[in-house]
Amino acid sequence: MLIKIAWRNIWRNKRRSIIVLSSVIVGIVAAICMDALQNGMLYQMLFNQINLSTSHIQIHKNGFIDNKIVQNTIPDNNAAEQAAIENEHVSFYSKRVITFGLISSANNSSGIFLFGVDPELEKNVSIIISSVVKGKYFETGIREVLIGTTLSEKLQVDIGDKIVCMANMKDGSIGSDVFRVIGIFRSPDSEYNKAYIYVPITDAQNMLELGAEYHELAIITKDYHFAPQAADEIESKLGERFEVLSYDEVLPLLVMQLDMYKEMIYVINFIIGLALIFGIINAMLMAVYERTQEIGVLMAIGMKNGKIVNMIVLEAFLIGLLGTIIGVVLGWVLYKGVLINGIDLSSFAESLDSFGIGAILYPKLSMENLISLLLTIPLISIIGAFYPAYRAVKLQPVTAIRHV
Amino acid sequence: MDLIKTENLDKTYSDNGVPVEALKDINLSFERGEFTVIAGPSGSGKTTLLNVIGALDKPTNGKIFLEGSDITIKKRKELSALRLNKFGFVFQAYNLIPVLSAIENIEFSMMLLGIPESERRSKALSLLDELEIKDLAYKRPNEMSGGQQQRVAVARAIVNDPEIVFADEPTANLDSVTGGKLLDLMEKMNRDKNITFIFSSHDNQVIERAKRLILLRDGKLDLK
Ligand SMILES: Nc1ncnc2c1ncn2[C@@H]1O[C@H](COP(=O)(O)OP(=O)(O)OP(=O)(O)O)[C@@H](O)[C@H]1O
Ligand SMILES: [Mg+2]
Repeated sequence: MLIKIAWRNIWRNKRRSIIVLSSVIVGIVAAICMDALQNGMLYQMLFNQINLSTSHIQIHKNGFIDNKIVQNTIPDNNAAEQAAIENEHVSFYSKRVITFGLISSANNSSGIFLFGVDPELEKNVSIIISSVVKGKYFETGIREVLIGTTLSEKLQVDIGDKIVCMANMKDGSIGSDVFRVIGIFRSPDSEYNKAYIYVPITDAQNMLELGAEYHELAIITKDYHFAPQAADEIESKLGERFEVLSYDEVLPLLVMQLDMYKEMIYVINFIIGLALIFGIINAMLMAVYERTQEIGVLMAIGMKNGKIVNMIVLEAFLIGLLGTIIGVVLGWVLYKGVLINGIDLSSFAESLDSFGIGAILYPKLSMENLISLLLTIPLISIIGAFYPAYRAVKLQPVTAIRHV
Repeated sequence: MDLIKTENLDKTYSDNGVPVEALKDINLSFERGEFTVIAGPSGSGKTTLLNVIGALDKPTNGKIFLEGSDITIKKRKELSALRLNKFGFVFQAYNLIPVLSAIENIEFSMMLLGIPESERRSKALSLLDELEIKDLAYKRPNEMSGGQQQRVAVARAIVNDPEIVFADEPTANLDSVTGGKLLDLMEKMNRDKNITFIFSSHDNQVIERAKRLILLRDGKLDLK
């Protein structure tokens, strides 16, 4: 019955209730959109790195991650590949030669990171194939090179042009080779467009005189959540000579940012709640004031203070809950209908690329946020009703009844 | 034993610092089943007396015994329970809960007593029937006339079988015919259910029906 009264009381002053309700709804929708954008951006940064080169798990010679010299090749290819294949979480892997060197065209030269990749295996592991915007992905797999858009502009080369690549060989002397530009890629991370080149792994191994050796076995798991666990399993199988790193160990800053953001949600929601609480306090104070006489009568007929508090708190709670539900539904519809298709940020893309986000931002709604909103805002409404309820029970029945 | 007995009741209001003596040395007793009217000119202290005896307000001095125990020393919470269990109130301005229908207003008092829902409904319906307002059961106060609202208010006041019903000028806002019918009703409840009624009024119609008349003048009992 108290719920019935509280609910009907909400609609006695429709305008006031609708104002409070709208502010709750707007707050919730804003919180959902902001979170989806921020969360989407962080995940996009992480997944772009994973998809560009980090993958889910990397197997190296122990120490490679801190010292990426050409000599640090995987000590036992078979063991590494076997360990990867045998792990139940693993779905794809790719072998990579990784080094740094110098690339020159007729017009210019530039320092680069060189990836020697297996054209077939790499397709399953990184998005480099889908990033090619001009020309094509490896065709013959012989002396072909993929370079980024920025680098192609700097070197003033186009599809079919030749470039020379130089790097330290395993024995310390300089090796070099000529490659033909087969494709130009544009990745979501401007660093890659500027300074990363991809050549077939066999060419890289020849140029660096590595034989069949390579530096990295990049693994994609069925579900990246299991990557750390799978990495541990593989590492224990391979032993001391290897290092097996999951993406979170390779990208600690991004992962930390994401974790921190997940905690920030609560702070942000708390701030939104704080902004809403004053509206609720105000509306409930007005309601109590308008109903002074009525509250006096309720007291006169023996309604206890606790019940009066409940009635007022319930009213605020119902407004908060209703606003939250409508807000969540609206936010959800907005998310599913508009945001999920991505937001084209081409006009800001230049600056966003350098964060590794890309031109199109795909917002991502987090369940944590929805749940946090569903809990926080109704709770805040309850808290906001305490002071008005306190004012109500402070009334003296006689003076309240005389009040007009 | 008297149902209610007052001893040297005083009530002094402070009107912006100026003391107003609304009640002076009131010694009264009431017995079960009374149908009593407190009459007196405006400002004589009728409302104040009802409020003080009805445990809505505290006297400045004096004692009030309800069935032998002093209620002036009781805590706010105890008084609230006392009003709920033993008293019923009818106000001049009806004062029903506007968001509740007639039957819900009656049920509300029972809800406060913790009576289960099914019992509430049937009891409220039979009471509405008794007061000949069954057809108003699902109307909200703003859909009812003053007389109808006051009948619902009477129903609300008596539904928990109180010892005493306090009615402060219950007919003041009603025309004489409607007021007369309301009085018929309360007389019937007094007769059939032995509910004690204490009114305040300066309406002759009410005063004529009183079985006992108490006169107030300037906050004092007029004992002539
Ligand atoms: N809350 C208050 N503060 C100050 N003075 C008050 C207060 N309530 C009543 N009074 C004063 O006390 C006196 C008695 O008032 P009360 O309302 O009891 O009279 P009444 O007999 O009920 O009058 P009426 O017939 O007009 O209702 C009056 O002088 C009134 O002005
Ligand atoms: Mg009065």
